[in-house]
Amino acid sequence: MIQFLFVDPWPWWLGGLVIGSLVPLLYYFLNTPLGVSTGFGNLAKVLFGSRKLKWLQGKSFDNVLNHRFYMMLGMLLGAFISGRTMGIPISTEMGKFTQVLQWPAWANILWFLMGGFLLALGARIAGGCTSGHSIHGLANFHLSSLIATIFFLLFGAITVFAIRIFLMGGA
Amino acid sequence: MKKNLSFLGFGMLFGFALSRVRASDYNYIYNMFTGTDLTLALVIVSAIIVGAVGMRLLAMNHYRGYQGQPIEVNKKELTKYTALGGTIFGIGWGMSGACPGTLMAQIGEGSLMGLVTLTGAILGTYAYAMLKEKVKDL
Repeated sequence: MIQFLFVDPWPWWLGGLVIGSLVPLLYYFLNTPLGVSTGFGNLAKVLFGSRKLKWLQGKSFDNVLNHRFYMMLGMLLGAFISGRTMGIPISTEMGKFTQVLQWPAWANILWFLMGGFLLALGARIAGGCTSGHSIHGLANFHLSSLIATIFFLLFGAITVFAIRIFLMGGA
Repeated sequence: MKKNLSFLGFGMLFGFALSRVRASDYNYIYNMFTGTDLTLALVIVSAIIVGAVGMRLLAMNHYRGYQGQPIEVNKKELTKYTALGGTIFGIGWGMSGACPGTLMAQIGEGSLMGLVTLTGAILGTYAYAMLKEKVKDL
């Protein structure tokens, strides 16, 4: 049992069960929708201040150490425990991407900086990310979440296809 | 404070689960998008089903929380920018191999490149705040 829960990777259904349960549980205990990406706003405000930007001066960022901050902190901790018990090495590698391409460090940094930038900008414009839209939103049958999720998956697939063909030479 | 600790606990569960199904592993995301390994797709689909069943149960409980407090479901509105945002997000997801949740899991596991992606994500969010000054309905 300990081996199953703490050492081996989980089967998909256990992951689905735990992650999916978070949607009703967060509502039941804390009246809060599941979501992560708005928390980047907390971090942006901590680092840069709000500098007269109305969105960052809004009520939802009054206190940057609010529930979103604790949720993010918890996620780091949870993954830290998982990583240590599974023996995942601390590294600058990014799987197949860094293995196959062997780019210099600055190129990798530029690439992932850009990826993160688009990820967060897109999440804000779409009004949510994979957890907020695809899991929370679809579990609540929101049309906007269906549209957002279709575009998430479609353009994620197109991008990875392009990486595979144009950067990795079809590997 | 008690509330924040609850969020910390739920966050731990979320981060642990994301790490355990290897959603934080670049190769799993890559393989999902190339269709060679659909494990993560199954995780997402089963999570949606479990979430929907749970929300149904909450509806049967007349949307009352554990202390009988009313639950307000966050309705995400469809705007003319939803598809555009989805497109930008999808490109970022494909490039970085992370979505906001799995990004936190990557960093927790000790991925240094994840910190680079996070830096980009913070800048992207700040860029949104600046764009919103110009485009009010964004």
